[in-house]
Amino acid sequence: MITLSCPWCGPRNVTEFAYGGESGARPDPATATPQPWRRYLYTNANPAGPVTETWLHRAGCRRYLVVERDTTTNEILAIRRPGGAPSTSARHATTGRATEQRP
Amino acid sequence: MTAATTPGAATRLDPQPGEVIDRTDRFAFTWNGVEHHAYRGDTITSALAAAGVRVFSRSFKYSRPRGILTASYLDPGCTVQVDDEPNVRGSHRRIAPGQAVTAQNVWPSLDRDVKMANQAVGRFLTAGFYYKTFIKPQRLWPTYQRVLQRFAAGGTAPDTAPDRLRYDKRYAHPDVLVAGGGPAGMKAAVAAAKHGAKVLLVEEEHELGGHLRYGDTGDLDRLALLRAEVAASDVEVLTDAVVAGRYDGNLFAVVERSAPGLTERLTKVRAGVAIVAAGLIERPYVVEGNDLPGVLLSTAVRRLINLHAVKPGNRAVVLTANPQGDAAIADLQRAGVQVWAEDARAGGDIVRILGRGGVVGVEVGDGRKVPCDLVVTATGWTATTSLLNMAGDRPVYEPRIARFLPSQLPDDVLVTGGLAGDDDLDELLDHARAAGELAAERATEPGSVRGAALPVRPIVDACLPALPLHDHPAMFRGPTHGFVDFSEDVGSKDLAAAVAEGYDSSELAKRYTTATMGPSQGKLETVNAVAAVAEATGITIGQAGTTTWRPPYAPITLGALAGRNFEPVRVSPMQPWHEVHGAAPLVAGAWIRPDHYGDPAAEVRAVRDEVGIIDVTPIGKLDLQGPDVPNLLELLYVNKWQKLDVGRVRYGVMCAEDGVVLDDGVTGRLGPDHYLMSTTSSGAAGIWEWIENWLQTERPGWDVHVTPVTTAYASMNLAGPRSRDVLAPLTDVDLSADAFGYMHVRTGTIAAVEDCVLWRIGFTGELSYELHVPAGYGLHVWETLLAAGADHGIRAFGVEAQRTLRLEKGHLIVGQDTDGLTKAGSAGLGGLVKLDKPNFVGKPELVWQQEVGVTSTLVALQPVDPTEVPPEASQIVVAGRTVGRITSSRRSPTLGRGVCLGQVPPDLAAPGTHVTVRLPDGRDIVAVVQQHLAHVDPEGARLRG
Amino acid sequence: MAEPTTAGPAPQPEPLARSPIPTLTPTAIVAGWEVTDRSSDASTRLADLSPLAKVHVRASEDGALAAALDVRFLKAARDDYGVLITGSGPGEWTLIGPAGTAGDIAGRLSALDVDERITIVDLTHGRALVRLTGDAGSTLLATVCAVDLDEHTMPDGTCLRTSVARVVTDLVRDDRDGVRSYLLHCERSSGAYLAEQLRQVGEAHGLGVEGFAAAGR
Repeated sequence: MITLSCPWCGPRNVTEFAYGGESGARPDPATATPQPWRRYLYTNANPAGPVTETWLHRAGCRRYLVVERDTTTNEILAIRRPGGAPSTSARHATTGRATEQRP
Repeated sequence: MTAATTPGAATRLDPQPGEVIDRTDRFAFTWNGVEHHAYRGDTITSALAAAGVRVFSRSFKYSRPRGILTASYLDPGCTVQVDDEPNVRGSHRRIAPGQAVTAQNVWPSLDRDVKMANQAVGRFLTAGFYYKTFIKPQRLWPTYQRVLQRFAAGGTAPDTAPDRLRYDKRYAHPDVLVAGGGPAGMKAAVAAAKHGAKVLLVEEEHELGGHLRYGDTGDLDRLALLRAEVAASDVEVLTDAVVAGRYDGNLFAVVERSAPGLTERLTKVRAGVAIVAAGLIERPYVVEGNDLPGVLLSTAVRRLINLHAVKPGNRAVVLTANPQGDAAIADLQRAGVQVWAEDARAGGDIVRILGRGGVVGVEVGDGRKVPCDLVVTATGWTATTSLLNMAGDRPVYEPRIARFLPSQLPDDVLVTGGLAGDDDLDELLDHARAAGELAAERATEPGSVRGAALPVRPIVDACLPALPLHDHPAMFRGPTHGFVDFSEDVGSKDLAAAVAEGYDSSELAKRYTTATMGPSQGKLETVNAVAAVAEATGITIGQAGTTTWRPPYAPITLGALAGRNFEPVRVSPMQPWHEVHGAAPLVAGAWIRPDHYGDPAAEVRAVRDEVGIIDVTPIGKLDLQGPDVPNLLELLYVNKWQKLDVGRVRYGVMCAEDGVVLDDGVTGRLGPDHYLMSTTSSGAAGIWEWIENWLQTERPGWDVHVTPVTTAYASMNLAGPRSRDVLAPLTDVDLSADAFGYMHVRTGTIAAVEDCVLWRIGFTGELSYELHVPAGYGLHVWETLLAAGADHGIRAFGVEAQRTLRLEKGHLIVGQDTDGLTKAGSAGLGGLVKLDKPNFVGKPELVWQQEVGVTSTLVALQPVDPTEVPPEASQIVVAGRTVGRITSSRRSPTLGRGVCLGQVPPDLAAPGTHVTVRLPDGRDIVAVVQQHLAHVDPEGARLRG
Repeated sequence: MAEPTTAGPAPQPEPLARSPIPTLTPTAIVAGWEVTDRSSDASTRLADLSPLAKVHVRASEDGALAAALDVRFLKAARDDYGVLITGSGPGEWTLIGPAGTAGDIAGRLSALDVDERITIVDLTHGRALVRLTGDAGSTLLATVCAVDLDEHTMPDGTCLRTSVARVVTDLVRDDRDGVRSYLLHCERSSGAYLAEQLRQVGEAHGLGVEGFAAAGR
């Protein structure tokens, strides 16, 4: 089990955090068309290597965090507070009710 | 006299300088029902060896007699049953007074074992016999299973867990974890502690000291000094404990086998830096007869003589290739054993070991047959690289020393001791000290993040001096074939056969023959197996590679893995009342709620006719404050919120970004910038996170503070035509319909409790008040309301009655009448969605849904036959094809008939449409689509009364 | 249907507040709360302090209120009134004071002349609170909590939020007369569960149960 070093609380077991998925740009809903919107909703790059993700320190400070992680080694390259960059974890219900839907 | 016991074959020696037995504490125990005596400090097998016992088990496949080989935890033939505890490692476990020890895997007895016949049919049990035999005919599989189960090398577990068993788990956070309490581990631990690190030192044996414990007096003097250093330090020492695994983030599983008061404890160690000083394991020599009782490793005879004062035999042949073997010869001679030495460094060898039930002689290298009752081999070492492999190491075979050396590690794992190289004790200790200091430095370095995943680097970069290597002859197999895996009864011949059949890599041959897959898990046999495969394929051991070591390194009981199990439960302040009043518990997530109090239909009627009260504490409640709350509500709900007056309540629905219904509930405005939001019970935690996500990541500029207050209030819904009469005398809030109308909120006092929140809403469809009272007073208010309502026929109702009431009223439940694909337009909520709002979560998808039209919609249904209640998830079919489903159904006590909600395609949604419902039992019934979702009081007259 | 009733409430008996954690006999009444009334001479003791006032306040992390309270996130300190101010989250404080004083604490917070909007919520009823005092406290917590509670990582006057026996719990190190002591609070409905887990884990350490008054607030 890796630890994530929360910028607020310090290193904690990853089990204290909730995974929010890859971060990606949210299209402007006012002008969105179905295809890019559904790409935003449902597709991930899932790279073997560095990826930017959203995590929530659920059992700690309850802050949302931006984490850059290497998926091949679990090395944490950067971890910081969200700075205006949209988090794709907002796409789906954290309750897990909204599930797979193909575009 | 029996074959298994040869009294006089071994005896207790005079006191030895390093012995661990206490001769003043002698006690009795039994072995297969026969009484023997032991000293405190004896292992099970040392006590029995002292009594002349040579055979401790029968082997797995061929049922060959097996005795002591390693005299350590790894001893493959010494697994025994102690009282009701199976699979005890007999050469490790210390015997206690009065224990009854019995042999395992013997049928019908240790002396006479019917499976011995397997040896005669051994050709059926060669490589891959699992995959070749017991295949056909299939009808005999159950028989094969019964036969094979008898072969399994396990003991007998008691039917129920004995009360004396105590397991636990804990966490530990040392700066430096040292795996292995030999001289290098002790030195490294002390050095790290002196350098300011918090150190945990873990040793598998019962005492610190490693090989020094069974060494000569010079070794014992060095050991005494090292032990004094450890004792004078702050190092926390765990003996009879083993580091069983290394996981991501330098997390280690440490199994403590003799923690005080506990059977076994699993300690999860998050180490800053780990030092692996696990040492070397002596490797058996593969030669014919190498599994006979009386064939021991040199370290085993040194343990027996020096730790337990047991003379292991009378006439020994010793094959030695290293100083440890030479020392064993000296120990044997000192113990009065006649020794015939074969020095491998001078060309000596043994061709085969002779005997049936035990050793009777050896055919040595020059062909002579030497009679003896003991054969000792000292032919080389296996590096215990398991923990290093788990840290990313790929050990490299070094032919000069005939063992593997580590090659690459992350910065938070260091290696010292025999794993790192050879040298005299002084140089080894210097290396260990350097490792300890480096570990302490790295672990306590400012900015070092404990548990971070670190890249693996070549070990030469580890900033530790390289230890020299002492040449060692490469000795794996003698001139004949012998056993490689003693646990699984796999020989070098089997491995050669596997290669011949095409399983020509060590990974394949291992799986095919099951070599290294038994209880010793490769620690004794892996390198010999690789050597056998390499020999058979004509490549070097380096080219053949080694197998992958995975956790756990050592066995862990299931009890320790289970340890303490934490299953949080949540209860409302009124739970004591529910329990006294016969509530049937409903487990809803972590909550325990009253499902009903015995008669849910009567509870429904009480609400419709008189008054009922339900505990709804789990309903999510969020306190929202700030000038931007209206903006937040506009964003998250599909309906409009800008014009909600103070004192008003509104129903709202939230969708996710994909337009799927996420949650629903009411939100009331308590003050100009102060709102109270309610969510579904199951959505309480998720909606809080959902809101925080939007506020923290998408709308950081908005001034809103969200405080979850779900359990700060005890919540109860007082529902029914007489609810006003019950409540009015107890509150200072004016309940008259004009002063406190439907969909309004008030704050006030109830039953002398201040700061209560009252909503006038109605999930049940009746006049009802949802009361939120400070939770500590929940029971007081509940009991006061019930007492006050007694004259009005009040009755507590549970979740089941509430579900029926709301179904009669046609109110949907998110997640029951909707699913992960149900967008708002399909949930009967189309009218609520305000697509003319500039922006809200889910809007794009809902716009597109409206453009293409819904594919399914929620309707109320009633079976034509009023006695039918189609079970939930019954299918709605057209010409045999499923087009919809029943999402909710109950028998309505109010209407005396079955009522349902269901999802149907638009062409079946018109009121009056007859649909076919296919029941789980295959029957089809007809149901009629209703005009309104509400089966009872669609106009809402009762609600607004 | 009955006539609308507009009469005010009839006289009511004094309400009794209950902790989420079952009390042990004998009991006493403190500030309207039923509490356990006993002492324990065990070296490690657990006490239910749920009746203590708990006031939650939100503001910006580094704004005027933060300056006025002078307690940073992860720290805990007492003010002049003896109220324990804990930096329970970024821009979030939980103030713990004597039973029945939530209104006073909230009043003093409101009266602070700070140049920012703050949110004050009385969570006295929303949190279960226990105090674990004694030498074995950190050993005991090491079985239910994965965070390092060593002296150098969590000294007196610090707090953090983490998972304790799988319940999200605020942990405050608040020593009593030099004896190691922790306050643990979690949302109320899990309080009985959390206290029971601590009691079970404490069995091996001779954990005693002491009453509200004996635990010295």
